[in-house]
Amino acid sequence: MTAQTAQTAANPRPPLRAWTALIGAETRSVVRDTAGLLIPLGMPLLILVMNGVTNRGGGEINGHSVFEVYVVPLVLTIVVATIGVINMPSFLATYRRYKILRRLAVTPAHPAMILVAQVAVSIMQTLLGVAIGLSVAMIAFDVGLPERPWTALGVFALAAFAMYAVGMLVAAIAPTANAAVAIGLTLFFALGATGGMFGPTDAMPEPLAAVGEALPFGAAVQAIGAAWVGFDQEPAHLIALGAAIVVSGAVAVKWFRWD
Amino acid sequence: MPAIAAHGLRKRYGDTLAVDEVTLDIEEQEIYGILGRNGAGKTTSVEIIAGLRRPDEGTVNVLGLDPWRDRARLRTVLGVQLQNAALHSSLTVREMVRLYRSFHRDGADPDGLIEQVGLTAKRDVRFENLSGGQAQRLSIALALVGRPRAVILDELTTGLDPEARRQMWAMLEGLRESGVTIILVSHQMEEVERLCDRVAVIDRGRVLAVDTPDDLVKRADLDQVVRFRTAGAFDPAVLESLDEVDAVTVGEDEVVVTGRGELLQTVATALVRADVVALDTRFQRAGLEDAFLALTGSPIDTDQEQ
Repeated sequence: MTAQTAQTAANPRPPLRAWTALIGAETRSVVRDTAGLLIPLGMPLLILVMNGVTNRGGGEINGHSVFEVYVVPLVLTIVVATIGVINMPSFLATYRRYKILRRLAVTPAHPAMILVAQVAVSIMQTLLGVAIGLSVAMIAFDVGLPERPWTALGVFALAAFAMYAVGMLVAAIAPTANAAVAIGLTLFFALGATGGMFGPTDAMPEPLAAVGEALPFGAAVQAIGAAWVGFDQEPAHLIALGAAIVVSGAVAVKWFRWD
Repeated sequence: MPAIAAHGLRKRYGDTLAVDEVTLDIEEQEIYGILGRNGAGKTTSVEIIAGLRRPDEGTVNVLGLDPWRDRARLRTVLGVQLQNAALHSSLTVREMVRLYRSFHRDGADPDGLIEQVGLTAKRDVRFENLSGGQAQRLSIALALVGRPRAVILDELTTGLDPEARRQMWAMLEGLRESGVTIILVSHQMEEVERLCDRVAVIDRGRVLAVDTPDDLVKRADLDQVVRFRTAGAFDPAVLESLDEVDAVTVGEDEVVVTGRGELLQTVATALVRADVVALDTRFQRAGLEDAFLALTGSPIDTDQEQ
């Protein structure tokens, strides 16, 4: 064999089954990381059930219970926020720490493939979390489908993107895997606290509530709630989600390191 | 045309010139050692060859490809084992080998490869539960899973016990037989002496010498020692006049001759001529380790100060 054959013979692109194999490997990694699997599925469910059993009744808004206006959107937002802001950066930072991205860089698989695979698995996990949460809400707590299902779906997708973008930002700026988990958790609780995770934002001091609504968690809860009960979307919430994507994404792209 | 040619490589990190005018020509089907202390520039040099870093100056050609421009094609023909690269910690040996196999259109049979590196008994063990030596074997398997035509192995047998080390050496010799070109980055003298067809000694970012291990030792022209006993009395004058001999010491029960060049042969011939019967002849020659010390001025296991 002469040196020239390498020029022409090999098809440099990885075969399609590299994608399925990578998604399979990421799925196994996620499933075997028990805490990372349970929190996005268990925590929203716990909040749903606790709100459900302690807070029946209350007023009605546009013919919908407080539960539909506030608790269900909150639960859905927690699912995407735990996966996007806590889990994803922790996986990415671990890959970097253990030089997995660098190892992949010397195979025909581009390291970006593992990021795509990780997002694919996150989406599956999100869908599973949403399915569990909504099933329990519908069966046990009498929640119906959203008044504006397509809007709800669109707003939810936007919220998911925003959370992933924030997660990428965390992964990009965190110097170590440990820092990624710490920053992710802190950010999750900060966004959650100001966004209504520990009680409706109406009860918060006005400036704090305003800040919370301008951040992606609060904006997502409000926007999903509006779609659920059939209110028009407030542009401020959509702008807040869009801004989170643009700003976090830009910073993440600027600071992201492969190794 | 060499399989891998790196000419005039230079790479600077801040104030440090990590690689300075490094030139390496590696022939097809050769096991080529890169020997040097930690921080000498070995890893940077091979990372440039692997297309992971771009040199500030210099050109590289690997199997007809430019590692930087043709990175994608390079990956299909060059296998790389990185030092200390860990992997998905919760995947098992078998899952990992299959995963890496899936990246290649053409490659080795995963189970056969696992057998070859001696991990069959551990194939269902997760990466996080492997010993250092087992993890090392797995990383070698992953470097070979695409059946590369050339492979870079960085600190191949670090963490392996002597038995596993010998297994790995036999495997590399088999690879060379099958036509694979191998770059072996190492600071293990025994390994380099045993395996490498040629060795480049790198120190402070520069190539000090390239030669076969034997010739590196010969070139260093270090003292050799011949010891023997004689049945009767021995007159050192028989040997002292020889060019190759530096000193002859006649002790109570043995004669010790130090010198250089073809010492053993010269001494043996002279003894035969003088009708001296030598018993228990022992020959000590400097090894690669001594040659390395002579070339670089310090032992291999000291870190290079940056």
